[in-house]
Amino acid sequence: MAVKSIGTYDFPSKSRQELYGDDQLVHVWFQGNPWFCAAACYRAPKAMLWSDFWSQMVVPWAEEDPDFDPAGAYAWTLHGKPLTPKDDVTLEDLGVEHKDVIGMRAVTA
Amino acid sequence: MTIAPKAPRAPKKLSMKQRYQVLTRDLDWEPSYVDPKEVFPHTDFEGIIIHDWAKWEDPFRLTVDAYCKYQAEKDKRLYAVLDGFAQGQGHLTLTDAAYLNSMKLFLQGVTPLEYQAHRNFAYLARHLNGPGPRFASLCQSIDELRHTQTEIHTLSNYNKYYSGFHNYQQMHDRVWYLSVPKSFFDDALSAGPFEFLIAIGFSFEYLLTNLLFVPFMSGASFNGDLPTMTFGFSAQSDESRHMTLGLEAIKFLLEQDEANVPIVQAWIDKWFWRGYRVTALIAQMLDYMLPRKVMSWKEAFELYFEEQMLKGLFADLAFYGIKPPRHVDDAIAEKEILSHQVYWTLYQFSHAAAFTTSVPTEDHMKWLSETYPETFDKHYKAMWDKEQENIANGGRHFVRGLPQLCQVCQVPMLFTEPGDPTTICQRESEFKGEKFQTCSNGCQWIFEREPEKYVQAWLPVHQIYQGNCGGPTVPDVLEWYGIQDGDNGEHLGSVDDRNWQDWHAGSAPEGD
Amino acid sequence: MTATTAAQRYVGVDIQESEQNRAVVEAIEETNPDCTVQHLPGLVRIKCLGRIVITRDSVEEKLGRDWETHEFQMAIVSYFGHIKDWDDDEIVIAWDH
Repeated sequence: MAVKSIGTYDFPSKSRQELYGDDQLVHVWFQGNPWFCAAACYRAPKAMLWSDFWSQMVVPWAEEDPDFDPAGAYAWTLHGKPLTPKDDVTLEDLGVEHKDVIGMRAVTA
Repeated sequence: MTIAPKAPRAPKKLSMKQRYQVLTRDLDWEPSYVDPKEVFPHTDFEGIIIHDWAKWEDPFRLTVDAYCKYQAEKDKRLYAVLDGFAQGQGHLTLTDAAYLNSMKLFLQGVTPLEYQAHRNFAYLARHLNGPGPRFASLCQSIDELRHTQTEIHTLSNYNKYYSGFHNYQQMHDRVWYLSVPKSFFDDALSAGPFEFLIAIGFSFEYLLTNLLFVPFMSGASFNGDLPTMTFGFSAQSDESRHMTLGLEAIKFLLEQDEANVPIVQAWIDKWFWRGYRVTALIAQMLDYMLPRKVMSWKEAFELYFEEQMLKGLFADLAFYGIKPPRHVDDAIAEKEILSHQVYWTLYQFSHAAAFTTSVPTEDHMKWLSETYPETFDKHYKAMWDKEQENIANGGRHFVRGLPQLCQVCQVPMLFTEPGDPTTICQRESEFKGEKFQTCSNGCQWIFEREPEKYVQAWLPVHQIYQGNCGGPTVPDVLEWYGIQDGDNGEHLGSVDDRNWQDWHAGSAPEGD
Repeated sequence: MTATTAAQRYVGVDIQESEQNRAVVEAIEETNPDCTVQHLPGLVRIKCLGRIVITRDSVEEKLGRDWETHEFQMAIVSYFGHIKDWDDDEIVIAWDH
């Protein structure tokens, strides 16, 4: 179904990727951690290395949780499948697209 | 008790029915000098079919003279109370300064909607073909302007002494949590006249109205807020006319042509859910923001929606083949978790809001445990305990970042999977190669039905990241929002709290 | 949901608690003997199965002065049901179907 309108109704998305230049929006969903009420939303360069994304964006947000262990083991998911991030790979090369939600879950031994 | 027999009433020239007919309907005319479609160019495109506009019934049968007389009387009575309260330093008799966080939310979130309603009913007063609904819309438009004004006046007294009230209009247009009510109304304003009638006239002003207003007004009454309570009663008598217009609108459309039924059903499905998501702010207000509790969200939802609407109204509408709103079961399933999830969210983001929040007291936690025996202790108490420990260690839970928002309701994606309060609900849709996330089955259904509309959503988090909200840092954004120091953050130790303690320091010690 | 007739479902009206409205409430109670009246903070909730009728005569009798049905707007806070009729002499709240 589409919008019923008087005349043409065709307007661009207010958050399309081109509005962010070489960056994109990326979400990190810290699953199983009720401290954070919702996933975080970041603006990050497509060419950002995973290690930088982790240390400059994810950790500063996650470490506000007193129980967060930055050295701990985490299971990652993207597009419903497991993701194995590598420090020296860019977000884009890891397959992260504009507005994607990356799942993050602490691995309990 | 009568003492003497009553003198016979002088016969009126016209009965109420005749008067109404003569002074409203009979002033209409069929234009002979231009095609009627040019006079009313907006009432065909939605697919709604009207055969006979004269069938619109307005049981109130108001005419302009009676309208002005009674509205003026209501205003006089209200302003007398506002004056008395102000003169008597009535704000000092509130239960606590923290109570006013609920009224800051009201002024920032609801009052501007009254103004938007005024505008859209003025539009209907011109663009509906029938004189009956045009006049009813005109009265409602003036009512809504009255509500805007009286709400502002009612709350202006608090602005002299408390933070958060000073810049409601700018905040409404810019601040993240206020995009929830704002986008709700913008969605209605940018729809056609018939959809607006069902969205606002029916779904908002009838289906959900008690769920929205009674909590605020009862909350006011229970917490010493005489002006707001009085405003509430004053406005509610207008609301009875609005409810009538909304109910008449839906019945009129359903009775005019069978083809209208599926269109109206789809609008009910959409607008129940959109309106319900806005009431998430009411849920947390009832269970968390009011120092003295009126009733729980669970109780309010059960009474004002499940009992009065599902069992009462929808039983009536079944005659037309109308079914209860799609996704209503998801709303019912949330009633014991909604308020907790929403307040936990506002709590951790109030550094960026124009109200303050705080950890619930011991007594408050007890009330929450007792009122929500199936859910509070199981899912939410642990987080408050953890936060209390965090505070004891010098911390205070404020998120250092921005949340994921729902593309449709624009609330942070804090809602959980139906049946599983431990898992955030994530839904994703694609439109023209771009991804869009929504918080629930309801919002996803709404998105996929009219994606062309929702891709235009002005999402506060995304706009901040595009640099459209003043600057890259939180202080920059707060300044652009019009939020001042003292408006935001933790309640204990805030400007409002410290003032409250000072003002009450000289009072007599309380009894046990 | 079981189908119920209009007569089997409750209708109601909430009236603002005030000196003037005391007479209105009394009049409604008299005209609708099977109704239930509940006092809540600031308002009086009147519930009836099927229908509620407010007559001008009964209100005038209790109030001791002339009263027009338009004036009921000063008393009403909210209602549930459908306003079936409103003319010079009476107001009727019921469900349609």
